[in-house]
Formats: sequence, structure tokens, C-alpha cells
Amino acid sequence: MLICFYEVSKVYPNGATGLHSVSTSIRNGEFVFLVGPSGAGKTTFLKLLTREITPTRGQVLLNGRNITRLRPNEIPYLRRSVRMIFQDYKLLPNKTVYDNVAFALMVIERPDKQIGPLVNKALDLVGLGNKVHAYPGELSGGEQQRVSIARAIVGAPLVLLADEPTGNLDMETSWDIMELLLRINKGGTTVIMSTHNIAIVDGLKQRVIELDSGRVVRDDEEGVYEGEAGYTSVLSG
Amino acid sequence: MRVRLATLRYFLVEGWKSAKRNVSLVSLGTMAVSIFVLGVFGLTLMNLNNVNNQLRSGIEIRVYVEDGIEDQNLKALRQQIENTDGVDKVIHISKDEGLDRLAKQLGEKAGLIDILGENPLPDAFDVKVLNADLTSDIASKISDLPYVAGVNFGQEFTEKLLKTTRFVTIGAVGLAVILFGAVTFVVGNTIRLSLAYRAKEIEIMKLVGATDWFITWPFLIEGMIVGFMGSFVSGVCLYIGYRICIGRLGPVVPFIPIISEAGPVIKLCTGLVILGVLMGVFAGGLCTKKYLEI
Ligand SMILES: Nc1ncnc2c1ncn2[C@@H]1O[C@H](COP(=O)(O)OP(=O)(O)O)[C@@H](O)[C@H]1O
Ligand SMILES: [Mg+2]
Repeated sequence: MLICFYEVSKVYPNGATGLHSVSTSIRNGEFVFLVGPSGAGKTTFLKLLTREITPTRGQVLLNGRNITRLRPNEIPYLRRSVRMIFQDYKLLPNKTVYDNVAFALMVIERPDKQIGPLVNKALDLVGLGNKVHAYPGELSGGEQQRVSIARAIVGAPLVLLADEPTGNLDMETSWDIMELLLRINKGGTTVIMSTHNIAIVDGLKQRVIELDSGRVVRDDEEGVYEGEAGYTSVLSG
Repeated sequence: MRVRLATLRYFLVEGWKSAKRNVSLVSLGTMAVSIFVLGVFGLTLMNLNNVNNQLRSGIEIRVYVEDGIEDQNLKALRQQIENTDGVDKVIHISKDEGLDRLAKQLGEKAGLIDILGENPLPDAFDVKVLNADLTSDIASKISDLPYVAGVNFGQEFTEKLLKTTRFVTIGAVGLAVILFGAVTFVVGNTIRLSLAYRAKEIEIMKLVGATDWFITWPFLIEGMIVGFMGSFVSGVCLYIGYRICIGRLGPVVPFIPIISEAGPVIKLCTGLVILGVLMGVFAGGLCTKKYLEI
């Protein structure tokens, strides 16, 4: 197993429940949708994997290693293999497409010689080979998300986490992004994506983990967005 | 830690850009004034020490011998004084020499001596010591020797000077602590501004797995640059100001041995600049560490 959650609970300092006793596991190379209403705990689930937050209880294992126990100076190395992309892209507006991607390698002190080829390869993969000198402000939302994906995969991470990556995009562009994420997944990278997009989840028939109020209420191989009628409402009601 | 050339360039460029963007005249001014004041104290202290050393290097212990001492005992006493730890040289001043000196000191009134008739002065020794700090110790040792009637050295003045020096030193150290706080705060303001300005970049660096050290370096460089700019200005002002001062003051108080060579003053000014740079680095590191912790 690549990722294991053992009875993970997260209570935020203000008392809000992020996750409640979640146990699940994800194999290397899987593609997983995280679904559920707003506030269900999807982002909390993903943030636990990058050690942006620590659980209140339980263990999160990555490759058998309990990442809740990492020392602060080990966290950067975790984040080199567990990369996250966001709804709002988080690009640096004053850097070109190329520099935004290269930045991710430069700040982890990859040798200069490696940076150029790796950045070009990643930008080609996301289909932006012809826009390397553009600035984020000159790009469409879909293109900006591609840059952020290129930045996430340029260091060949084990896991790509995507928190509502198509949340700001129209349907057609969202499908392009999905096509790209699936391609990256086919290349061997485990992808975990939270989303509200019913058509995409229903159309792709991947594993679906549904959260509600911090609990896993459904976990289906080749699942759809909505579980069987009544199932969720019984549990949450 | 191994640092690549490209990385080093990034640190320097970012540090410099940040410093240029966010340093204010107010913070540089505050810093320069703080370091300048510290420098004034430093120079005062240096001069006090100088006066101290010069005066004390002239201090000898005058040892008066009991009257009517026999020659062989006098020789033995001289031997004993010479063998005392820390004694450099011993000069015998015979009764007659003593009288000659007294006559010279009295000048016109030398005639008074004739009234005395017989020479009332005892034999004496002038003792030079190796280390002026040990003068009083050595003097008290000598006074315990047989046939010694008394010893005399400029204890009162030396002690006063020592007290003053100690006082100024304590003042300087206290001031340095306060100014250290002030400079840290002022440089810290610049750094905090830069941290806020680069918040998004830092967020992304953390996201993609940059170490805290890597994130901190540009801010250390920035602190260094700001520290240098502030302290360099005050170092130069202090040097020039001191030159002007001794030019004016020297002729007015020729009896005070003011340090006039450039060497020690340049050393002090350089020390202040280094201190400023270190304070800047300290402030940069502290603020960034705090910022990264939250
Ligand atoms: N930083 C935070 N501080 C306090 N409460 C939070 C924080 N982040 C999330 N929560 C709470 O935790 C619950 C789950 O949030 P989240 O994981 O963001 O859900 P989702 O991503 O599914 O919308 C919500 O009730 C939310 O209000
Ligand atoms: Mg969310």
C-alpha cells in the first residue's frame, strides 16, 4: 500500500471536525476521486498527506512511514514526493511559465543542468511547450492550471493531490485537465482528486471515496458521484 | 552545507532586491545613529584606556628605606626587591641624589634646604614594574620587606581612572544591549516587510519542498546588506567626526594624550560595521524563523 489512513481524526483548534476516524488505503498508481459536500473533509484529507496539518488522532502512512511523526526538517522532503495542485493555481504572477516551473526545481537545489530539460519536458507534457515565455496573467484559466500541474509533476512525485482542480474552469477545459491528469496517472503517479464535478466523476468510472461530516460514507471501485439513493442520507441524517 | 553557485546567486540577488525594495531611510537612519552612539562610547573608552596606560606606564613605586641602614642590608634589600615577581628595574637613589632632586623640584626655594642642615632624606629605590595592573600588589609586597620604611605610588589617581573606565565600560555594554535590541527591531521591520511582500513565493517554496534554510538564506543576506548599509554610514561618519574632533580638541587640551593615529580608530569603525552586519543577519534569521513557524 502506498497510502494508509488508520482511524484518522482531525479536530481543528476551533472545535470543527475535519475528519472523524477515517480508515482507508490507496495503492500505488491508483486514481481516486474524493467527493462530498462542502465541509465534508476533502481538503483536510489532502492536507494531512502533505503534512500541512497533523491529525488529532490516528496515523497516516506513506510507503509504510508514519508521516504524522516526521520531524519539521523532514517535511520538505515529504513534499518533494507528495505534490498538491489547487483550484486557484498558486502561480507567481511575476515569473514566466518556464520560470514558475523551474522555480520548483531551483528551490530544492536540483542541479542547473537538469532543470532545463526537465522543465521543457513537463511543459511539453501539459501542452504548453509554445507558451514558455508567457506570464500567468496572459494565460487562460485552463492554461494556468496546466502550468501548476507542470510545476507539480516536474520533480516526478509519487503522489499528485488535486484539490478541486477544475473548480474554476468551464466543462470543456475541465475535461482537458482530466485528460491530462489521467495521462499522468497512466505514467505511474498516484492521483487523488477532490471534486464537485458530477459529470467528470460519473464519466470516468474511477474509485470514489465519499466523505460526509468527516467520515467515509462510501468507497466504490469504478464509482459515481452520488451513491445509492438514501445511503448517504441515512448515515448523515 | 553545500551550496550551488546558482543557489548562491539566487540568495544574493533576492536578498539584494528585497533590501533595495523594502529598506527605508528611517530604519537605516535609526540604525546608523544607534551604531554611531555606540561608536562614540567606544572611542571614549579607547581614549580612557589610552590615558590610563600612558599614565600608568610612568608610574613607579618609590620605596623609602629606614634611616641608618647598613650598606650590606641595603644591598640585600635591593636584591630582594629585584627578586620580587613582576619587578622590572630597581634604581637606587642615595640620600645625596634625593636631595639634589628635591633641590631641583624646589627651584628658587632651594635655599630652604640649607636650613635643614643635615640631609634628612632616607635612601630610596625607584621600582619599575612590568605590568602596571600589578603595581599595588607589588607595592604591598615590597612594603612587607625588612628595612622598608614606606612605599608610595600614584594609587589614588590610578584608582580613580580605573573607576571611570569601568563606569564607561558598563555604560557601553548596557548601551550596546539596548542598541542591539533597537537595531534588531529596525532591521526586523525591513525583513518583516520583505517577508510579507514575498509571502506567496514563500508559500510556494514550502509547497514544493524547499527547506526552511533555503527559504531563510535570502533574508539573512538582506539583513546583512541592511546591517552593512546602516553601520557603514555611521562608521564613516564616526571616523571623519573623530578626525575633526581631535583636530580641534588636540591643541586645546595638549596635556591629555588623545589617540591620534588612524589605526586603532579604523579598527573600531570596522568593528562597528562588522557588528552591524552581524546584527542584521541576526534580525533576518530571527524574523524569518518566527515567520516560518506560524
Ligand atoms: N483551518 C481550519 N480551521 C478551522 N476549521 C477548519 C479549517 N479547515 C477546515 N475546517 C473545518 O473542517 C471541516 C472540513 O473542512 P474541509 O476539509 O475544508 O472540507 P471540504 O474540503 O470537503 O470542503 C469544515 O467544517 C471546516 O469548516
Ligand atoms: Mg476543500
